[in-house]
Amino acid sequence: MTSLIACHECDLLNRETVIPPGGKACCRRCGALLYRRTRNSLDRTLAFTLGAAVLMVVANLFPIVELDAQGHRTSTTLFGSVRTLYDDEMRSVATLVFATTILMPALETGAMIYMLLPLKLGWVPKRLPAMFRLVQTVRPWSMVEVFMLGTLVSLAKLEHLAHVVPGVALWSFGALMVLMAAAAASFDAHELWARVEATGRRAPRFSMAASNGEAAR
Amino acid sequence: MTTMTAAEAGLLPCHACHLLHRPSQVAHGLVCVRCSATLHLRKPDSITRVWAFLIAAYILYVPANVLPVMETGSLFGSQTDTIMSGVVYLWTSGSWPLAVIVFVASILVPGAKLIALTVLLISVQRSSTWRPHDRGRLYRIVELVGRWSMLDIYVAAILTALVQFKSLATIRAGPGAIAFGAVVVLTMFAAEAFDPRLIWDPVRRHHAAHTD
Amino acid sequence: MLRTPIDPGISDIPEAAVEQKRGWTVSLVWLIPAVAVVIGGWLAVKAIQDRGPTITITFKTAEGLEADKTKIKYKNVDVGVVKQIAISADRTRVVVTAELVKQAAPYLVEDTRFWVVSAHIAAGGVSGLGTLFSGAYIGVDIGKSSKRQQQFTGLEVAPVVGADLPGRQFVLRGPELGSLEIGSPVYFRRVQVGRVLAHELERDGTAVTVKIFVDAPYDQYVNPNTRFWNASGIDVIADATGVKIHTQSVVALLLGGIAFETPADSSVVQPADEQHVFPLFPDHSQAMKRPDVEVVPFTMYFSETLRGLSVGAAVDYSGVPIGEVKSIGAEFDPATTAIRIPVEVALYPERLRSMSRETVAKPTPAERKARLDGLVEAGLRAQLRTGSLLTNQLYVALDFFPNAPKAKIDWTKTPPELPTIHGGLQELQATLGNIAVKIEKLPLDQVAMDLRQALQSLNRTLQSADVLVKRLDTELVPVAREALEESRRTLKTTERTLNTDGPLQQDLRGALRELTRAAQSLRVLGDYLASHPEAVLLGKKRE
Repeated sequence: MTSLIACHECDLLNRETVIPPGGKACCRRCGALLYRRTRNSLDRTLAFTLGAAVLMVVANLFPIVELDAQGHRTSTTLFGSVRTLYDDEMRSVATLVFATTILMPALETGAMIYMLLPLKLGWVPKRLPAMFRLVQTVRPWSMVEVFMLGTLVSLAKLEHLAHVVPGVALWSFGALMVLMAAAAASFDAHELWARVEATGRRAPRFSMAASNGEAAR
Repeated sequence: MTTMTAAEAGLLPCHACHLLHRPSQVAHGLVCVRCSATLHLRKPDSITRVWAFLIAAYILYVPANVLPVMETGSLFGSQTDTIMSGVVYLWTSGSWPLAVIVFVASILVPGAKLIALTVLLISVQRSSTWRPHDRGRLYRIVELVGRWSMLDIYVAAILTALVQFKSLATIRAGPGAIAFGAVVVLTMFAAEAFDPRLIWDPVRRHHAAHTD
Repeated sequence: MLRTPIDPGISDIPEAAVEQKRGWTVSLVWLIPAVAVVIGGWLAVKAIQDRGPTITITFKTAEGLEADKTKIKYKNVDVGVVKQIAISADRTRVVVTAELVKQAAPYLVEDTRFWVVSAHIAAGGVSGLGTLFSGAYIGVDIGKSSKRQQQFTGLEVAPVVGADLPGRQFVLRGPELGSLEIGSPVYFRRVQVGRVLAHELERDGTAVTVKIFVDAPYDQYVNPNTRFWNASGIDVIADATGVKIHTQSVVALLLGGIAFETPADSSVVQPADEQHVFPLFPDHSQAMKRPDVEVVPFTMYFSETLRGLSVGAAVDYSGVPIGEVKSIGAEFDPATTAIRIPVEVALYPERLRSMSRETVAKPTPAERKARLDGLVEAGLRAQLRTGSLLTNQLYVALDFFPNAPKAKIDWTKTPPELPTIHGGLQELQATLGNIAVKIEKLPLDQVAMDLRQALQSLNRTLQSADVLVKRLDTELVPVAREALEESRRTLKTTERTLNTDGPLQQDLRGALRELTRAAQSLRVLGDYLASHPEAVLLGKKRE
C-alpha cells in the first residue's frame, strides 16, 4: 500500500516510497523535491529551534556592532536600527526590516516550538494545523542569512572609516542563521503528521479524520 | 508507462501539507482535512496576479535605481548614493569583492528576477511547451535567489543606525531604499503567486493530444 | 532521486509506521540548545553584573541632551550614558535619568557636580568645540564628600574650578563690583594666579562679596596683610602730582581683574587661611596706602579761591607728602558777615618719621605743640600751590616764609588752626617790587656825564681826518698821471708785434708745417714695421 503525492511543481502523481534516513524523494518528471527523510527529525528540529529561540533573544538584546570613530562610539542593536530608520521617516523600510529579521523568524521559531514541543511531550497542541500553515507561509520571508551578509558588507564598508568592534549579537545572529537553516533542513513534515496521528490515536480527543482522504469542508 | 497528474485524476493536493483529496460536490470553500489550508486545483488567478505584481515591480524598478538609496552627510558636505554609484564606489575604492557582492545582489538579481518571471509568465500565458524542465528549474532558482536582493536594504539599515556622528558623518536612508524594498517585496509576491504547474499543463495536453 | 513505477488508482494512504519515542532520550543534538541557553544565561548575568548605578540629574533645559546617546564623561572618559529625559512633576526642571558604569559608583557623593558641556564662547575663550562633532555631553566633577547620593541638581555652567584643583579660596568685600565677572583673572605681579569664582551683593546692599580662587603654589603669597584691589580696565589718576595710568593686562582691560600685593614692610609671613575675608580696594594706590595711625588734624583758612583744590589733595612739606585734605567746608562768620571756607587737613607725622634715617621717637603732644609753635615762629605757613599745570590741581604746601606777617597756631579751636599765607600771585608782586628797587639804585647821573665827554673827542678826530685828505689831492695826483702815459705807449708796441701777417707769424707757420710732415712719415714707418718687423734687420724689400 503506497500513497500518492502530487508534485507541487508539475502536478504529476508520484507514489510515495520509503526512503532511507537522510535521503530525499524527487518528482519523476520535473525533479522537484517532494519530501525528505531525516534521521531523528522531530527531536533535531526541536533542539535546533529551541537553540534558535535563545539565540534570537540574545541577538536582539545585545548590540550587533560598535563603531569607534576618533573616540566617539556608537553602537546599535537590531531593534535600534529599525527604530532609527523609523524615526528617520523611513517607516516602510523600517517595517520591512523589522518584519523580515525579527518578526518572521520569531513567528517561525515560535510556531515550530508550539508544534514540536507538545508532540515531544506526548500531546497534540490545539491549532496545530494553523501553526503548520503559518510556518509554511512565514518561512520564505525570514531572511536572517541575508541580513547577516548585509551586516558583513556594512562592516567591511565601515572598516576604513572607523574602528569596528563586532558585538555579541553579531555572533549570535551568525549562530542563529545556522540553527534556523539546520532546523528547516531537518524538518520532516511527514514525520510530523505521522507523529500527530500517532499521538492523536493515543489521545482520541485529538483526532484527525483524514484516513480516507475525503475533502473536508 | 502512463503518468497522470493530480488534475487529470481529479484529485486536489494541499499546497501546505501535500495531502491529496478527492473532490467533493461543492466546488468552493474546500479545505485540507489535515492542515485546514484552502484547497485549489491551481493557484487562483495566478497569471493575473503575477502580472499585477510584475508590472508594479517594473514601475518601481526605475526610481529604485535612480533615486538615492543612501545619503551621507558630514561637515564637509553631503553626498547621495544610488545603488549603482555605491557599487562603483566600492569598486574604485579597492574593495572589489564587496562591489561584486552588492552588484549581484542589488542589481543583477532583481533585474534577472523580473526578466525571468516575465519570461515564465508569457510562456505560460501562451501555453507554450518550450523546454518545461528548464523553465521549471528557472522558477526554482527565482524562488531561491529572490530573497538575497534584500541585501542592500540591510546594509542601508545598519549603516544608518551606526553612522550617527552628528557633524562628523551621518547616514540616512534615501527614498530609493523605499522603492527598492518595494521591488523586492513585489517580486517575492509575484514568485509566490506564480503557479509552476501551469508550465506543465500545456505540455501534458500536448503530450496527451499526440499520444492519443 | 528514486524512480518508482506509478500505479494510478491507488489512493490509499498507508499507515505511518512511526516509532513513538517515549520519554526523554537524550541525543547529542540537544547539546546545541543547551549550549545556547548557557551562553545566553551567562551573557545575561554578566550584563546585570556590569550594570552600574542609576542616577537622576535635574537641569533647567534638556538642550543638547538625547536619550540613549548623550554620554557622561569624567576627564574625557565615558562613565555613563543618559537613558531617559523627562519633565519634572512641577514642570520647572528637566529630569535626566542616567546609567553609569560600575566603576563610577564611588564617584556619586554629595558634592559631585554635573553640567552640560557644549560648544561655548565665553569670557576667557572658546571651549567645548569637540562637542560640535560628538554632540554635547555631561561633564562630572567628583566631590570630596563621603556621603553617597543618587539625585543631583545639575549646574547650568561649568564650575570655574574643579574640586581637585589645588589652591585656596578667599573672600573679598568691596564697595562695588566694577567690571568683574565669573572667571575674571586674579594677578600677582602681573602674572595670572587665580580667578573669580562668584560674586554676590550683600543682603543689606552695602557691599559686594567676591569669592576668588588662588592656585597653588601662589596661594602661599597671600597673607593676612595682603591688599587686593580691583585692577579692571585702566586706572587713570589725575591729581596734583600729575596724570598716572595703570593697567594690568589686556585681559584685565576686557574682563576685569583683581590684583594683589603684600606691602613690603609687612611683618606677617604666615599664609592666610582659606576663606579669609579681605577688603577690596578700588585701585592700587588706595590699596597700598598705609593706614595712617597717627592723624593730626588742622584747619586752614585761605583768602583766595579754592578752585582746583579737591578732597584728598596732598599736603606737602618741602615736597614730601605728609598729609591730605580731608574736607572743604563752609562757615558763616557773623563778625565779618562773610562766608569763610575752612579746609580741614590731616597730617601724618608718621610719614616723615619713617623716612628719617635714625629712629625717632614719637613725641608727646606737648612736645609736638612746642615744636610746631617753633616752626610757625620761624615762618612755617600753609600755602596753596599749583601742582600740575596740566590738571590745574592745587595742593597745600607747608613752607617757610621769613617775610610772612607774624602768626600763631590757634590751639583753642578744634581742629587747631594753622596760619596760612597768600599764594603764588603775591610772590610775583614781591619779585617785581624787588626789581623796581634795584633799578632805583642805579647811578644814572654819572653815566650821562661820561657820554658827553666821549662825544667831544669824536668831533676832534673827524677834523684832523679832513686835513689829511686835502694834502693827498695836491701832491700825489700829477705823478700818477705820468705813470699812466708810459704804460699806454708800451701797449701800442706790443700790439704791432703780434700782428697777424708779421714775419714772426710766418716763421711760426712754416715750423708747424715741417712738424706735421715729419709726424706723417713717422707714422708710415711705424705701420710698415708693424707688418714687416724683419725690415729692421734686412731693410726694406724691393717691390
